[in-house]
Amino acid sequence: MPVKKEKEPLIMHPRPSSIVAALYTLRDLDTDVVILHGPPGCSFKHARLLEEDGMRVVTTSLDETGFVFGGHDALVEVLEKVIERFNPGRIGIVGTCASMIIGEELHEAVTQVQPDVPVIEVDVHAGYRDNTKGVVMALESALASGIISEAEFERQKALLKEATMVEKRHGAASKEYLEPNRGDLKYKVAGRLLELLKQGKKGLNILNAKKETAFMFADVNLAVAQVAEKLGSGSNIVNMANLDDNVGLPKNRRNAREIKEDLKEKGFEIHHIIGGLDEYPVAGNTADRIIGEKYSDYDFAVISGVPHALPMDNIKNMELFSVTNGPRQVVPLKDMGHTHVVVEIDLHPKTLGVSHIVESEFGATLREMVKDA
Amino acid sequence: MPKQIAIYGKGGIGKSSTASNVAAACADEGYRVTIIGCDPKSDSSITLLQGRRIPTIMDLMREGIDIKEADIVFNGYKGVKCIEIGGPEPGIGCAGRGIIVAISLLKKISRAIEDTDLVIYDVPGDIVCGGFVAPVKKGLVNEAYVLTSGEYMPLYAANNICKGLSRLEMTLNGVICNSRGALNEEKIVSEFAKEVGSQLLAFIPKDVLVQTCERDGYSVIEKAPDSQIAAVYRKLAKSIMGKRDGKIPVPLDDSRLRELTRI
Repeated sequence: MPVKKEKEPLIMHPRPSSIVAALYTLRDLDTDVVILHGPPGCSFKHARLLEEDGMRVVTTSLDETGFVFGGHDALVEVLEKVIERFNPGRIGIVGTCASMIIGEELHEAVTQVQPDVPVIEVDVHAGYRDNTKGVVMALESALASGIISEAEFERQKALLKEATMVEKRHGAASKEYLEPNRGDLKYKVAGRLLELLKQGKKGLNILNAKKETAFMFADVNLAVAQVAEKLGSGSNIVNMANLDDNVGLPKNRRNAREIKEDLKEKGFEIHHIIGGLDEYPVAGNTADRIIGEKYSDYDFAVISGVPHALPMDNIKNMELFSVTNGPRQVVPLKDMGHTHVVVEIDLHPKTLGVSHIVESEFGATLREMVKDA
Repeated sequence: MPKQIAIYGKGGIGKSSTASNVAAACADEGYRVTIIGCDPKSDSSITLLQGRRIPTIMDLMREGIDIKEADIVFNGYKGVKCIEIGGPEPGIGCAGRGIIVAISLLKKISRAIEDTDLVIYDVPGDIVCGGFVAPVKKGLVNEAYVLTSGEYMPLYAANNICKGLSRLEMTLNGVICNSRGALNEEKIVSEFAKEVGSQLLAFIPKDVLVQTCERDGYSVIEKAPDSQIAAVYRKLAKSIMGKRDGKIPVPLDDSRLRELTRI
C-alpha cells in the first residue's frame, strides 16, 4: 500500500532560498562568474551582495517572450559573452523557478558553447522547504565536474543535514510564524555583562559563526576579551572559536585564517578551536563536550553567531548572552533559555568582501561603556 | 544500454494502441519491455493490464504519497513493466513540469528504465513545451518515431514534430502510418517519410479488431494473436528492434506538405 508522506509543517515567514544557497556555495568554491538563468530580478539582492566577494553574477534576463519560447539562445549568448568579457577560470550556471518550470536544459547551452573551463550547472529552483537543498545540488554538480572530492562532498552533506536540523529545532524553521524582533537593548545587555566581569565572574566566550558572518561576530568575542582585560578579569574568560582553517571549501579556510590572524594580532588567545567555519551546526557539540569536561561551573557565556546550535545541557545554569544576526532568532533563543539576546542588524552585507574583522555594534557598545566603568 | 524510443504524433492518431501492441509483440519475442505512458489519459498500459487502470505518478504526488517503485511500476502482459505519468487536473498547474518531475523521480526510485531491453515513451500529442520533451532532453530517448495518417492534419503535426526533433538534434528513426482510409494514403506517408529524410516502417490498416480488443482491455497481440493486424504489429516490432540508423529530420514547408496530401 502506498504510504502517505509525513506532512512538513507550513512555515509562513520568509525563508532563505535554494537558488541563493546555490549561489553562495558557488562562491565558496571560488567560482568567478555565475549566470543566473531566469528573469532579471531573480535573487537580485544576494547577487549584488555576492559581487562584494568578488564573484560576478549575471543574468540571462528572461522576459515574457523567453518564458513562452524558451531561453536557450539567451543562455548561449550570455555564456559566450561571459567567457569573452571576464575570461573566467570557473563558471557557474544556476537555474531559477522560471527557467526550471519551462524545462530549460542548462547543459544544452554548455554543450553548444563548449567552454574550455569547468562549468558547474545547478538545476535549482526555490521550491524546496530546506534551502540547503540548493547547496547540495551545487555540490553534487561540483563533484560531478571533479572540483571537489567525494569525501568533501559527503562531509558537506552531513553538515548540511545538521544545519537543517538546527534550524528546525530552535531556528527560523522551528515555528509556523516568527515575528521579527530587534532583541534586547545593547547598552543594557552590555551593562549587565560588565557587571558580571567586575564581580570577577567566570565566563565562556564562544564564537560559533556561520562562514563569513564570523568577520563581525568575532569582534563581539574580541570586545568581551578586551573589556575583561581592562577590568582585570581577563583570566576568568575562556575563548572558543570555530576557526579551524584546515577544513572546508577554499573560501572558508581562507576566512578562518584571516580572522585568526587578526585576533592574534590583537592579543586574543583562542583556548579551544571547536571546528571550521562551515562546521557551525556541529561545532556547538564540541563546545558542549569541552564545557562538560572543564567549565560546567562557569557563571556566564557569551555566544555569538549561531547560539542556538549550542546544546543547552552544560550551559543551562549559566547566564547566557547571545548575539545573533537574525531578527527571527530572538524568540526561539529566549524560548531556549538565553537571558540576553542582541541582534546585529545588517551584519551579513557588512561581512561580504572583507578580509579583516568588522566592528560589531555590541562590541563597540562594550568598549565605549568600559571607559566609564 | 536499452533501446529507448519515443512515439510522437497528433493527438488521437493511435500512439497508445501502437505503443502497447508493439510492447506486447516485443515481449512475445522474449524482450524485457518497459512502457511509460506520458498521456494524462494513461491508456498506454491499460491494454497490457487486462483493462486495469494503474495509479499514475502524478496522482500519487498530488496525494502526498512517499512514492516507492512498487507504487508506480506494474507488471503487465508477459512481464511488460507499465508506468503511467498522468497529469494535473485539467486547467490547473503545468503538465510539462509534471513530466519533468515525474521522470526525475522515476529515475531516482526505479531501475525499470535501465534494466530492460526496450523502453517505450508514449509522449503527449505533439512537441509543445520543454516539459513534454523532457524524456528526450534528459537523454532518456535515443530513437524517435512518428505516427501519422495520410490526412493533412496528422501530417502537419508529424512535420511539426520533425521541426522539434531537428531543433533538439534528435534523430527520427521511422515513420509509421496508422491508416484512416485516406486516398493514396500509403503513398502519401511514404513520400512524406522520404522527404523528411526517413522511411515508412509500417502501414497499419484500419481494423476494428484493435478497438474491440482495447474495449475489453487487451492488445490484439494478446487477444487476437493470429489476426492479420497482430501480424502487422509484430512486423513493426521486429523492425523497431532491428538495428537501423536514424537521421535528424528535415521538416517540409507548408506548401510542400499540402501538395503531398493531394497526390
